[in-house]
Amino acid sequence: MSLHASIFLHVLKRGLLGRGNRPLIAFVALTVASTMITAMLSLYQGLESKLNRDFRSYGANITVAASDERSLPTDAINRARAALGPEAVVVPFAFAVARTTGDEAIVVVGTDLDQVRRLDSWWSVSTWPSRDNEALIGARAERHLRVENHNFQLDFAGRQLSFRQAGALKTGSDEETRVYIPLNTFERWTGIKPSLLEISAPGSRERITAAVAQLESVFPGMDVRPVRQLLHTQGSVVSRMRSVMLASTLLIALTVALCVFSTLTSSILERRHDFAVMKAIGSSQATVNALFAGEALTIALCAGLAGYVLGSAIAAWISQANFHAMVMPRLSVLPLVILADVVLALLAAMLPLARLQRIEPAGILKGE
Amino acid sequence: MFLRLLYQSFRRQQRRKLLAGIAVTLGVAVATAMIAVGVDIGDKINRELRSYGANIVVYSDDAALRVRVGDQEVKPAAPGTHLKESTLPSIKGMFWGHNILAFAPFLDAQAQSQSGPVSVLGTYFDKHLRFGTEDFSTGVEKLYPWWKVQGRWPTDEGADVLVGSQLASRAGKQVGDSIDLSGLSVRISGILTTGGAEDNQIIAPLAVAQRLAHAPDAVDRIYVSALTKPEDAFARRDPERMTAADRDRWYCSPYANSVAYQLKEVFPGARAEQIRQASQNEGTILSHISGMMLLIAIASLLAAALAVSAAMATTILERRQEVGLMKSLGATAPAIASLFVSEAALLALGAGILGFLLGNAIAQRIGQAVFHSSVAITPVLLPMVIFLALLVTVAGSVAAIRQALKLDPVLVLRGDV
Repeated sequence: MSLHASIFLHVLKRGLLGRGNRPLIAFVALTVASTMITAMLSLYQGLESKLNRDFRSYGANITVAASDERSLPTDAINRARAALGPEAVVVPFAFAVARTTGDEAIVVVGTDLDQVRRLDSWWSVSTWPSRDNEALIGARAERHLRVENHNFQLDFAGRQLSFRQAGALKTGSDEETRVYIPLNTFERWTGIKPSLLEISAPGSRERITAAVAQLESVFPGMDVRPVRQLLHTQGSVVSRMRSVMLASTLLIALTVALCVFSTLTSSILERRHDFAVMKAIGSSQATVNALFAGEALTIALCAGLAGYVLGSAIAAWISQANFHAMVMPRLSVLPLVILADVVLALLAAMLPLARLQRIEPAGILKGE
Repeated sequence: MFLRLLYQSFRRQQRRKLLAGIAVTLGVAVATAMIAVGVDIGDKINRELRSYGANIVVYSDDAALRVRVGDQEVKPAAPGTHLKESTLPSIKGMFWGHNILAFAPFLDAQAQSQSGPVSVLGTYFDKHLRFGTEDFSTGVEKLYPWWKVQGRWPTDEGADVLVGSQLASRAGKQVGDSIDLSGLSVRISGILTTGGAEDNQIIAPLAVAQRLAHAPDAVDRIYVSALTKPEDAFARRDPERMTAADRDRWYCSPYANSVAYQLKEVFPGARAEQIRQASQNEGTILSHISGMMLLIAIASLLAAALAVSAAMATTILERRQEVGLMKSLGATAPAIASLFVSEAALLALGAGILGFLLGNAIAQRIGQAVFHSSVAITPVLLPMVIFLALLVTVAGSVAAIRQALKLDPVLVLRGDV
């Protein structure tokens, strides 16, 4: 048995290392296949999180509003952050209607401007305020304020306060008609506490919907709403891209599998002389099969590993180039790729062997 | 003689030709399908992103400031100058009119109901309009597909209205009830949930709001959803300071800015702005998705090329004995090579056309299954794909032919190589 095994291993080794470039061709073909499959699967799995992240740049996907003219509890921000984890962006908003020096009504918003900058990255702002008395003025509000020398005054319930204009804000919607000032200045001036939280929760549409339910239990009696238009769009785009990616992955996998299959099959058929010689000097069908299968298996394993590394690198490069964020190598892809390689290699080896079995070794050796 | 050899080769080696043909057909089909989907996906996803709502707003230039906190209108905007409703159909007549997927006009009005003052928003639901010879319909049903209506959508000609869900629950109104708006009795045909300010309003046909506001033919704002191209540095330039040629190019590109500029021409004295939340972010998503699909299309092209040239190489290497026989009968290397290359070219041409048709079918299937619409195939793709198929098949064959020609015919015929 041990002699038998050692001869088997020796023949296997010679088959792999000492036979010119035939195993190399099989290895290259299988590596290409597993590279393509790894890259497509990694991109497929990574795409969803990339797209979900892209959709977060739209801004808040959940709002929490205090009901009926009241304000939110003072620890609301911390409670929302605790419920949603550090990835979520939570921004408080407080609103008041002030009068300009021309006695026009104008909405003044107190908020955490640093967080708004993270939440609404699409705001076009010339300069963000950095000090307590600096304000961000909506593009449409500007001419109503009578800004002189970057300074203007507002009046809230008889209390005057002067501000310095930091920058102009352009959004194309209602934000342009308002004045934004830092929250603590706003609270000291008006005494009004935040009444609205805008929250950007991470993840897919399903995860955001779950976050809404979670926030509802954290803030009973308050008005917790998903931003429906955003979730609707996000859900449909992500699911459509998922289907397109799946279809592309299948098509590409099919093409490379076919290519590998035809290459491997013909490389086995070309070795019909080896096959015939082995049979002629008395080895059993099982041994010959095991030998060819062992060869295919070894090549497939090595090619699977090499393809996994290469494919992960390609996926990482593509997503770096396209999304400016890495797709990390996914270990869950590895068993799948190796399995695909092994099945492909074994099938490609076994089909021609089954055909050769039906022919007499003598016939093959004579070249028929 | 050459033609007879070619003909016999196809007639006698049907199995081998079939295998190579299948490889070429499949390779071309996959490449065609991926390129077609990759090219068209930008447009498809663009339409999908447009379900977010408007990306351009048109409003009268000297409209007073809206004072609005959250859902509540604190002070209704003082009536400034209005836009004209009768101008609306001309939106379809502007240069990028065909890129306008939907638009809806809005007019704010106030009314007294049994339960106090309510804010009424007049708009089009699904209004039939005509511009020149073109009939089309537009309104909030198309502009905001995510608006949820329990009950039925009202018609634009009648006096039925939608009531916002919060307002409805506060006032205890249900579908089918009627409501009194400053002496005008209207029927509630549906309850609307949007998650926004509309939940506290009554949404009425534009004509009803115009009567309540005593402003015939008036519109406050128009929200427009247009297919646009992601913004780049050129899009952000000021058209007034461009050279004539640059200005033409800018005007004829579907940027949000240039579509807004054209809308301004339709409504003199109005302002048209891109809604940055929609236009900026969809630009990012679009360019990410198109970039990704482009890279994948290239990858599939590579995979297909590899598959085809490998298949061609194997079929030729299997025919070493044939090459040996021809050589020993005195055929020159160029004669043999030209025979094999012609065979490959014929195969590429036939299988390439077949593959193009198959690839088209695959692309259509993907389009129908995923986007419920067909994928546009550019006719330019056919010559391109056939050329690529020829290139790849011939390249795959040439390497193998050179290898086969290098072998000694004696050894090959004895079966030693």
